Order: sequence, then structure tokens, then C-alpha cells
Amino acid sequence: MAPTPCELCSINRALILRPKNHQKLCKTCFISTFESEIHHTITTTSLFHPGERIAIGASGGKDSTVLASVLKTLNERHNYGLELILLSIDEGIKGYRDDSLETVKRNAQQYDMELKIVGYDELYGWTMDQVVEQVGKKGNCTYCGVFRRQALDRGAAMLGVQHVVTGHNADDMAETVLMNLLRGDLPRLSRSTSIMTSTPSAAAAAVPSQTKPSLTNIKRSKPLKYAYEKEIVLYALHKKLDYFSTECIYSPEAFRGSARTLIKNLEAVRPSAILDVVRSGEDMAKLVPGYEDTCAGKCAGSTGAGAVEEEEAGCGSAAGRSGGGEMSKMEQHLTRNERADEEELEIEIKLPIQVEFLKDPANDAIPLRKKGRKGVKSASTPQSSGKPVTKQTMGSCENCGYLSSQKVCKACVLLEGLNKNRPKVAVETSTDGEIVSMQQAREELPGAVAQMSVDQS
Amino acid sequence: MPAKHIGAICRRCNILEATLTVRSDPLCRDCFVKYVHTKVIKRMEAFRTRHSTADQTRVLLLPVSFGVSSITLLHILDGHLKAQNERTGRKGFALHVLFVEEELSTREELEKKVGFLKERYGRHEFSSIHLSQIFKSGGNSDEISQTRMEALFSTIKSATSLTDVAIILRTRLIVQFAQDSNCEGILWGDSTTKLAEKVLSETAKGRGFTLPWQVADGMSPYGIPFYYPMRDVLKKEIIAHLDLVSPPLSPLLANGILAPTIAPPSAKNTTIDILMRQYFESVEESYPSIVSNVVRTTSKLQAPLDANISLCKLCKLPVNDDKLGIHGWGGDQAILTDADEDRLGLCYGCSRAVGREGAALLP
Repeated sequence: MAPTPCELCSINRALILRPKNHQKLCKTCFISTFESEIHHTITTTSLFHPGERIAIGASGGKDSTVLASVLKTLNERHNYGLELILLSIDEGIKGYRDDSLETVKRNAQQYDMELKIVGYDELYGWTMDQVVEQVGKKGNCTYCGVFRRQALDRGAAMLGVQHVVTGHNADDMAETVLMNLLRGDLPRLSRSTSIMTSTPSAAAAAVPSQTKPSLTNIKRSKPLKYAYEKEIVLYALHKKLDYFSTECIYSPEAFRGSARTLIKNLEAVRPSAILDVVRSGEDMAKLVPGYEDTCAGKCAGSTGAGAVEEEEAGCGSAAGRSGGGEMSKMEQHLTRNERADEEELEIEIKLPIQVEFLKDPANDAIPLRKKGRKGVKSASTPQSSGKPVTKQTMGSCENCGYLSSQKVCKACVLLEGLNKNRPKVAVETSTDGEIVSMQQAREELPGAVAQMSVDQS
Repeated sequence: MPAKHIGAICRRCNILEATLTVRSDPLCRDCFVKYVHTKVIKRMEAFRTRHSTADQTRVLLLPVSFGVSSITLLHILDGHLKAQNERTGRKGFALHVLFVEEELSTREELEKKVGFLKERYGRHEFSSIHLSQIFKSGGNSDEISQTRMEALFSTIKSATSLTDVAIILRTRLIVQFAQDSNCEGILWGDSTTKLAEKVLSETAKGRGFTLPWQVADGMSPYGIPFYYPMRDVLKKEIIAHLDLVSPPLSPLLANGILAPTIAPPSAKNTTIDILMRQYFESVEESYPSIVSNVVRTTSKLQAPLDANISLCKLCKLPVNDDKLGIHGWGGDQAILTDADEDRLGLCYGCSRAVGREGAALLP
């Protein structure tokens, strides 16, 4: 039988069956198609502007490695004029991060890019291994996700970068759409499919300006949001990219695991299904009550101005094993609500309106993460329109200044819980023989964050 | 749904021994049957006798597929109407039962099943109609309609698309029938579980924009109200209910309908609908509230109020003109696109289901 020629160039032998549409392509045509599709996404959404410094959230995994490689190629080919920097987060997971960070270090050399590694220990005083030791394997992804979200922004702020790109692919997007439907989370559904998420202040500062990036105006975008995971793997394979392929050793949450299995099954039945779910997600976002308000008529095309806070990122590399803990917790919660509803035990009590307002964006220093600063409130302006509290309004955390709809951001809440349970009387010997109590050591932790803000100024 | 609380006393009546566990409560047989009935009848409040006039009966169309939900709905509403009549001498509404035949080969079985139903619920008007009747515009004969339907189906390559198109045509036919026979609304048998399935499978088929209409009670975009009286009952509850009433309902069902859904081994023969049914059958086992939460959440979505609305040529749902077809959005990254498909007047999801060839054959 004669070899099948490539459907695009008709010259070379087709070696690749494109997972997305089952087109038969040769290696060269596959690579150039993949790249031009990403280019198409970048140009049609005006993702970057010339001279912009971009931090690539790099984990050493396939998605971020392909993102770095493709961005470098396209930046040179199409003269984007971007300055690309690799930004890595060290969660402190032994046997997982150590090796993947080595990969990122090699990538930095291969792609000739600056690399910044930020550790959870220096940011929060806890490595993920220590967190797992304390909270167990169930639910630790919550910590990791919340910490990572802030870590990327904090790292970007340290680098003086206003825009972080991440390697989220179409499979991740589709998974998130199904997951938010299963969880009944409309606010997240409305913003999870946007190619770019940015805080209101960042949206205002979208025009290149010389203002120093602060923690509350860093843009996030996902140039690979329409790229199939399988094609990313193929691209990495054929470009012989150096990536790290071990999955996180801690398991993902049940909802994500459940949605992931479903997405894989759907893809097997109809290859376009992943893209179709993403499309549904984008269309549904506009049906979420209050969408017009969030968008305020300013966002064009697929760029949503949803806030980035606590957006579900999940672990890009984790497999679909499901613990079920998160699902049963939600089930119990819903059952209790249903029962209360049925027995009419619940009476609606309206709370006085109290909404935290956004901090003055001009004040761009990262406030210190310090205990005992609770009295110092972020500057809030009185509310002009008496809207109910139902919608998230972004303010900043009283403790650390990070973007938050609550008084204290999620990371600080989690940290408080962790720190509370850390043995208080533990005694350890410091290098010079002096005895230092844990209490004292903890006092020093905020110092690490303080150091950060000094570094970047 | 076997009883977890063996030997426990029913939580509702506190007298009888529980026979099964419903949303973590032990219930006896009578209380469970009452529970299911109440959930359905509560949804029919707009059709109480006090809202009906003596001279004009409100007719509601009840399409029956011989699945667990539609048969149970017929059974419950039949009992409800009987009770209404005994109590007040009046009925809040009248039922018109409709069967849609899809394959001629099942006609014998269907006639037998219809016979059983008429025997038991003969008070109501019964009709049956073949799916190909949707092609009967302009006085086509039955043969021509049938041929046209077969021609359309032969252009559709995948099992998923075939089921998808058949379901859409069935809905359209039922709507058309309801309007032609002066029905005031359509009563769909969908359970909570079925509605959740529909939400996720329509999402997977690229029809996320239709979700506000997929689960909502009230006026549908087809111009006739849709009601889902079984929306608060889980599929597993409906199944448990089947044989707790006497005589049992299961002999009335289509053959093999009670077997658990197992996707065919080959992905080629599997459909998105089968995958979702299988998925929710398993979620429903341990996490029933999550299933109902999906439906509750979806009903909060608001139908768009866009200008430049057309109706998709297949699903007949309102869609913004610039959202027709599969091209021209972010996920369509082709540099040179064949925009012809966008001129077919199909929504995104329907463009995935039928190609250009099929679009020309649509009724």
C-alpha cells in the first residue's frame, strides 16, 4: 500500500494523525500548523504588546515547556518584541520538584531565558511536604493551588513583570467547565474560559505604562487554551523538547479527577468534544447572571475581565485518580441545605451591606505579611451604590495585600490554620549553638516576605 | 437504593418498618410512594381544579417513550386526575398521551405496549406518530417522508450525531403535534438525573448557549410551554418506585430499559448521551445532591437577549447571527477557513452534527 501523503503539503509522508480533527499530516506540517494556531490565538486576542516583559509560569512539565518553546519561536519569527522570562515555583515536594526544577534550569539555558525560582518556604514558611505532613494527603491540593496562585503573582512582582502566561491547555479548560458545572459554581464558570484574566486595576493599566507592577495588577493569560493536550505532547516529542513527565505525587481533587475522566472519554467518542466544551463554556459565561456587570462593556472578544482570585488552576500534571473526599463533603453540605429547606428551618437573615473595596492602585508596594497588623485596615471608600453582597467585589487582603474578596485572603486563612497547629514549644538548635524557639522562627518568617518587597523596589 | 437502615422505623410515619433509604432517610413503602407523588404533584400546582373552567379543559401533551420516567409520570398524573375528579367532580387538566415511533421494526412491540397502557390508563386520549412525519410538510406521502429521513440519516457518520439529530427531530415533532392538537403545554418526563445528563451532554456537544432552555419550566423558544414535573425526583428513586405500586409498572416499560447503561466497547458506537447517562448513574449512587445541584445551577443561567437572532435550521433554537457555524471564534484557529458551513444557518452544535450534505436535507 502506498504511503499516505500529508494532507497539507502532499509531498511528505503523513506520520501524524492530528488528535484534534484526525487530519493526516507530516511532521513538518504538524509543527508549523501547531505554531501558527498559537500565533493565531495570540494575534486575534491581542494578547501581547511590543516591548512587554512576560513571565512564563514554568513547571518543567510538557505544557509550560511547549509554551516556552513556542513563544520563543513565535517571538523571533513574528517579531513580537517580547522579553520572555521563566518563572518557577518550588512547592517543596521532594522527588517531584527537585527533578522538574532541574529541567527548568536546563530549559533556561536552552532557550536563553532568565529564570526566577520562588519557593513556598520563603513565601509562606511552609513547603508542600510539610503541609502534607500536617494536613494529610486529602485536601492538600487546595493549599498547593492557593499558594501557587499567589506565588506566581509574587514572583512576577519581584521580577517587575505585569503579565504571567501559563500552560493551561484546551483539556484543562474543558475540564474546568465541566467541573464548575458539577460543583454548581457559576462565578467561576463565567470567568474560567477567558483567555485572559486580570484584576480591575490591571485592566485599567492595560496600556503600557511605567507604573511598577504591584500584586494587584498582574495579568494572567493562557495562550494554549485551544491546544489539545495530546498535540502538546506530540509537539514536545517531535521537537525533542526537554521536559519532565512525572506527575505530582499528591492526588487531585475528586471533582477535577471526575471531570478529567469524562473529558478523556468524550474525546474518544468525538475528537472535537474538547473544543466543543470550551466553546460551550465561553457561550455559557455570557449567560451567568451579572456577566454584563463584570464585563462593564469594556472587554472585547474573548478577553474577560474576571478577577483572578482563587481561580481554579488545579495541577496540570496530576492524573485522574479521585479520592472522593471533596465530593462527599459537598454532598453532605448540599443534603443539609436541602433538608433545612424542606423542613423550613432556615430563615433568611439579611446582613447589613458590607463590601471591601479595592485598594488604591497607586499604592503598589507589597504590604508586609506580619502578625499583629490586623488593626491596620486597607483604605476603603464608602460604597456609592447599595448593591447586595451577592457578587464578589475585589479588595485586598488585610494581612498581605493580595487581591481578595474577603477581608483576609485564602492563603492567609490557610496559613493561619497551619501555623496554629505548628508545635509552639518545639525547640531547635541554630548553627551557632544558640537556642531558637519555633515561636521566634515564625516571627522571622514575615521577614522573608519583607525581604521580597525590598528586593523588588 | 436498598435500605441501609435494616429494621429501622420509617422517619416520616414513625410507625412502619423502613423498606428503603431515600436521601439518607429510612422510609416505609407507603411513605416513599407518597414522597414521589408529592414531588411530582407539587410541580403541577398551576393546573389545580380551581384554575380550570367548567366548559373548557386544558389539555397537556404527555409524550411517552416507555422509559421509566415517562411511564411513571403517566401513572402518577392518572392517579392525581382520578383523585381530583373524585374529590371535586372536576379535573384540573386533561392528558393527551403521545408515542413517537422511530423504527418500523419495533411496531409490533410498540403496539403491544400501547395496548397495555390503554388497558390501564384508557381514560386519556392516545395518539402515535412516526418520526418521519417531521418531513411531511407540503403534503409529502409517508413513503417520501420516510425516504427523506433515511437520506438525511445516511449522511451522518457518527453514532453521537445520529442520536443527537434524532432527539432534536423528535422534540420538534412533539412540539408540532402539540401545537396542531391544541395542547396548552408539554409535560416532559425528565428526572433530575436526566436533566443533569442533558446539561452535560449539550455542553459536550457545543450547545452550551441552549442550557437556559434545556431545564427551565415555562415558555419554551418553540412557543409552547414546557413542564418537567419529575424534575425533583432522581432516576434511582423512580426505578425504586416502579414495583412499589400495584400492579407494578415495570411490565409497561420498553424491553431492557432497566439494565444499567454500559457504553459499547468501541468508542465508535458510543455516543455522548450514553457516556453522560453512565456517568450520572454512578454519580447519583453516592452523590444525589450533586446531581440536583447541577440542574439547580443551570436553571440560574439567563437566556440571552441579543439582537440579530435567527433560529438554527436544525434545533430551531434562537442563536445570534454571528454565532452560527463552527468558524469565526477563538477556538477556530484556521487561517483560511471555508466559511461555507457558516452560511448553512446551523448553530455551532448542530454544525458538528450535520455536514453540508445533511443540512440540505433537513426538514
